[in-house]
Amino acid sequence: MAVVTGRSVEAPAAVKVAARGVRKVFTSRQGVQRAAIDGVHLDAAPGEFVSIVGPSGCGKSTFLYIVGGFVEPTAGGVTVDGRPVRAPGPERGIVFQESALFPWKTVLGNVTYGLAEQGLPRDRQRAVARMYLEMVNLRGVEGLYPKELSGGMQQRVAIARTLATDPDVLLMDEPFGSLDAQTRAILQIELNGIWERTGKTILFVTHSVEEAIFLSDRIYVFSARPATVKAVIPVDLPRPRDRDAIIQAPTYARLHRDIWELLRHEQKTDGERGRGDGH
Amino acid sequence: MATATSPSLDERPLGTAGQLSELLLPFATVTGVLGLWELAPRVGWLNGGVVPPVSEVLILIPGLFADPVFLPNVGASAFRWALGFALAILIGVPLGALMGRSQLAFDLIDPILTISYPIPRAALILILVLWFGAGDVSRVGIIILGCLIPIVISSYHGARGINPHLLWSARALGTGRAAALLKVVLPAALAQILSGLRLAIAISIFTLLASELLIRQSGVGAYLFTLLDNGQYHLVWACSIVIATAGFLLDVAYVRLIGWLLPWMEGQV
Repeated sequence: MAVVTGRSVEAPAAVKVAARGVRKVFTSRQGVQRAAIDGVHLDAAPGEFVSIVGPSGCGKSTFLYIVGGFVEPTAGGVTVDGRPVRAPGPERGIVFQESALFPWKTVLGNVTYGLAEQGLPRDRQRAVARMYLEMVNLRGVEGLYPKELSGGMQQRVAIARTLATDPDVLLMDEPFGSLDAQTRAILQIELNGIWERTGKTILFVTHSVEEAIFLSDRIYVFSARPATVKAVIPVDLPRPRDRDAIIQAPTYARLHRDIWELLRHEQKTDGERGRGDGH
Repeated sequence: MATATSPSLDERPLGTAGQLSELLLPFATVTGVLGLWELAPRVGWLNGGVVPPVSEVLILIPGLFADPVFLPNVGASAFRWALGFALAILIGVPLGALMGRSQLAFDLIDPILTISYPIPRAALILILVLWFGAGDVSRVGIIILGCLIPIVISSYHGARGINPHLLWSARALGTGRAAALLKVVLPAALAQILSGLRLAIAISIFTLLASELLIRQSGVGAYLFTLLDNGQYHLVWACSIVIATAGFLLDVAYVRLIGWLLPWMEGQV
């Protein structure tokens, strides 16, 4: 199924997230069935950073929502630590492209939300929330409401809110997709640092090839809709990674060219251009 | 809408001329209408016996409050209004929110709304009177029925239109499916629900007065229509001004209260 270009990929020794034969068919109101995902296999080792890139509308976000337990697959399934995913759960945190912060809660209220659901005492909630706000480089905004923050700050809060409950797996659906280039670069560097410090398993959906290479251990390239795994590309760049140095590396250029080649081919064969990202 | 919420500085021109005209123009409009009202009966455009000049009406207002039966009637009306409005919220918001989140609830409830929507509220008063008699049950009932539909509809649209990512975020943070209705759906739909309630306030005051016209036992409506029957047109106007002012203040208070209780919602209701 997975066409591996370039080198061979060893199967990960231990598996944190495993998707097997995931298929999703949407039925329109007129009863027309349309496959969004057609038999995707995916593995992520514990602590691995795995990106998913693919043409827009290919169903990569839908795949992430299936891992999250928000959308039910038509066939196949996902396991986390060997347990099948049936519903959303606190061991799988999610960050969306548009900030999904609760507008009726302050920054602090948003970050403590999941901790309150876990039943932590109030002073402990605050202490933990402050620690994670510190981790995403936010200070002095605890009492503000989300609408008072810039897009980049909102995504920082969203990341802190998700990290606060300490999920094993972080699902990120184009989290920096709506940010300007500069903010995006800064947040990529910060996320890289957070991942190195926390050792989370991250599934990261993006359509930025640069972003995927800089952040990932492995990149899954999805085909046009209905999504299949077209290639799995290991990113053999040394860590810790320096964004400026990596862009200069010959390996980076080669990976970039290979992935673009795959995506360009997909765009050409994509008969029906999807609008949006197949939510 | 904009008059009661505080303008944010970045949206308005800072020039003092702009601010001054913004303050003075509504004042000028009101003054113009009052001036016309004062003038028309005096120069004979209107019958001064039925539409007295505004100055003659305004001086009667203190006397109205001095009437020992006036305030008890206002109190009776206010009590029935508050009871009916509160019950309509308690019934309408959960009903609408449930319809917005459950197709089954929608399919069950929607036909009733569709059928009852075009029925005039005045006709419903008579049906309630035949059913429950000419008492408080009917008069509170008609207030509930009068404002139930805007409350249900706004709650339905509010609950239906929420960003699903908010719900998913909460579920991933450990909130159960049922608890999410209260913790996420309700606050996320609140701006629309509160807009519906604002509309319902205006409708409920109308139905309150209409019910007191038809069931004339007590209340400010009954008081008003008795004045009309007695041909005390000056007092009819004075009483109407008091009612209109009360309605206006209620609306202003409502918007202010939301701004104060829910600072994150500023400008949305």
